[in-house]
Amino acid sequence: MSLAILRAAFLLLLRDRGALFMAMVVPVVFFLIFAEIFATAAGDQLQLRIAIVDEVRSADSTRLLKALTAEPSVRPVPGSLTGELTRESARDLVRRGTADVGLVVRADGEQLATASGLAAPPLLLLVDPSRSVTATVLAGQLQRAYFAALPDLAVGRVAELIGTQFTEFTPDQQAEITAGLAGLRESADAAAGSRPAGWSFDDLLERDNVAGQNAALNNVAYYAGAVAFMFLLFAAAQSALGILDDQEAGILDRIAAGPGGIDVVINGRFLFLVLQGLIQTCLIFGVAWLVYGVDVPGNFGPWVMISVSSAVLAAGLGLLLVTGCRTRAQAQVLPTVVILIMSAIGGSMVPRFFMPQWLQQLGWATPNTWALEAYSGVFWRSEPALQLVPICFSLFGIGIAALGLSHWFGRRLVRD
Amino acid sequence: MAPQSETAEPLLVVRGALRRFGDRTALAGADLTARKGEVLVLLGPNGAGKTTLLRALAGRIRLDSGSIRIAGGAPDTTAIRRRVGFVPQSIALWGRLPVRTNLEILGRLAGLDRQHVRAAVDDALDWSGLADRAAEPVDRLSGGMQRRINIAAGTLHHPDLLLLDEPAVGLDPVARESVHRVLERLRDRGMALILTTHDLVEAEALADRVAVLVGGVVRAADTIPMLVGRLFGSDQEVLLMLASEPAPPLRDFLRTTLFSPTNEPRLWVGRLHGGLEQLPGLRSKLIGAGADIEELRVRQPGLHGVFVELTGKIPRHLSDQP
Repeated sequence: MSLAILRAAFLLLLRDRGALFMAMVVPVVFFLIFAEIFATAAGDQLQLRIAIVDEVRSADSTRLLKALTAEPSVRPVPGSLTGELTRESARDLVRRGTADVGLVVRADGEQLATASGLAAPPLLLLVDPSRSVTATVLAGQLQRAYFAALPDLAVGRVAELIGTQFTEFTPDQQAEITAGLAGLRESADAAAGSRPAGWSFDDLLERDNVAGQNAALNNVAYYAGAVAFMFLLFAAAQSALGILDDQEAGILDRIAAGPGGIDVVINGRFLFLVLQGLIQTCLIFGVAWLVYGVDVPGNFGPWVMISVSSAVLAAGLGLLLVTGCRTRAQAQVLPTVVILIMSAIGGSMVPRFFMPQWLQQLGWATPNTWALEAYSGVFWRSEPALQLVPICFSLFGIGIAALGLSHWFGRRLVRD
Repeated sequence: MAPQSETAEPLLVVRGALRRFGDRTALAGADLTARKGEVLVLLGPNGAGKTTLLRALAGRIRLDSGSIRIAGGAPDTTAIRRRVGFVPQSIALWGRLPVRTNLEILGRLAGLDRQHVRAAVDDALDWSGLADRAAEPVDRLSGGMQRRINIAAGTLHHPDLLLLDEPAVGLDPVARESVHRVLERLRDRGMALILTTHDLVEAEALADRVAVLVGGVVRAADTIPMLVGRLFGSDQEVLLMLASEPAPPLRDFLRTTLFSPTNEPRLWVGRLHGGLEQLPGLRSKLIGAGADIEELRVRQPGLHGVFVELTGKIPRHLSDQP
């Protein structure tokens, strides 16, 4: 008898396209997206876009950078190594997200060969605190490149350490060491290889936060934006379902026969969704400000601009997704699926720099990416409000366009 | 009941209303008029076009051809929408919101300004007898009360014409009666009411005039006595219930003796010409033709007879009886 129930359940599932899609297709799509993201993030596929500036242009720095850029996971941004980039322009590229991280072989630091860790280190990493993991990855790659390309420097530093801390080399010994190091240099030039480090490689590195102070808080700001926008979309779609409730109850029919017609329903619901979205955003950023110290008051104007345009977009999109459905069952499934996928690709669930390049590019097709970029513009890069105008205008415009389409679909809802 | 003077200018004039949905013709050239202060009941079997006509009057659907004029204007214009009220068949209210809140919101949507809404809501609560329940959520009210609020919500802007789609469907007799009282009060205020129903008893109780639709056309529209007189003259109505479905020869015989089939194969409706004394003769003829009579009933023709005569179908409430 249980088999009869199994058969009924199976047949019902087959006939419910929404449920079938949710059960069979969506999990696979999600698996593909996250597999792509985490395969990249955890494995060798993580491709870092690095802005490289060589201020020294010595033989050592050239060898190091050549070895570094030979790594398949490193992608120098255009202008790197050609002398076009300066420290400041590299910093800008990182701040704007064009590069994931910056590397400067600095002229105002110690030499690569003789770095003691007592003065400014020879290598400067330009780090966006929202992507601080990129600095760690780059440091690892630099270390590998360093031992592969400059083993003579590495061993030389060990020898120097022994010479200064433990014993004094005789001139003969010193000559042998120098000759040995030259041999090492030659063999390293001939073939790549690595040697264990006997001192902290970090002595060679300095991390510079391109976003200025409050670096740790910027991650909170990222997630405030990411979570706020995803739930803005979810809440908008959920509340927009109220239109279908009204349709089922006959309320839509009644209002459509009145002087305002169906348009007042769509516009009224849109205003509600915008207001609801703004309250949600205020709550999330309010907590981010009060609990984590994210500087919302200090960026109030730009924050309002982004939040309003994001709320308008979410409201328009939520309405469109719901009114575009032909049945309530569809309206319960489709918006959820679309929002989940947009949020996954757009960076609301996993930071975008973890993603492979093609997925990062695809992210620009989602409003999540636009909103997150706008928020990061404010809270990480301290961009002036004027610079945010195009992105806010786009969000706002798309929201209004979606509202227009919702009107068209809304009329279909009450059409006989 | 106070039928309006036939000379009064009609509030509503429908001419040749035609509307198709794909291959199906819902309205096939319907004509209709209605005057202020009258209750016009639209009758007809399922699919006859009642709801389509009502929705066209509400400006909710456009005609493929023909015209509708309400107070001289088209029903889908804002000015005319303000003069028409529409009460859907379902309880088109927000169940979790209080009665008063529902009415206030729907009053604003009907075009009333803020000052007038409060007075209109108080008035509606008063005549619908729900003033003491105004603060309760609609969900908590009885079915009859919900129906009354549903109607009240369609009248807040004091329309000249109120359209109601089966306003008392699914109610017990007491609740239905309370809804009827509400409708009569609105009629007495000078409103024209056009409503659809399948319930002939309700139609007889409320209608100043009835319009019978068949196949998307108004077959007849008049007062019930006028319709009966026109269709039956001095004849009486005969209801013949057979013990079993008639065989083809008997069916032919019934047709030649002025009986009409209904959608219940054993039930035939005919007319008796020349008074009750003709009944024994009719009975003998039927038995002679092989009819196994279960019941043979004579009655004064009424709306029921008109309906069967015009549509060839038994009204729903009668066919539902065992």
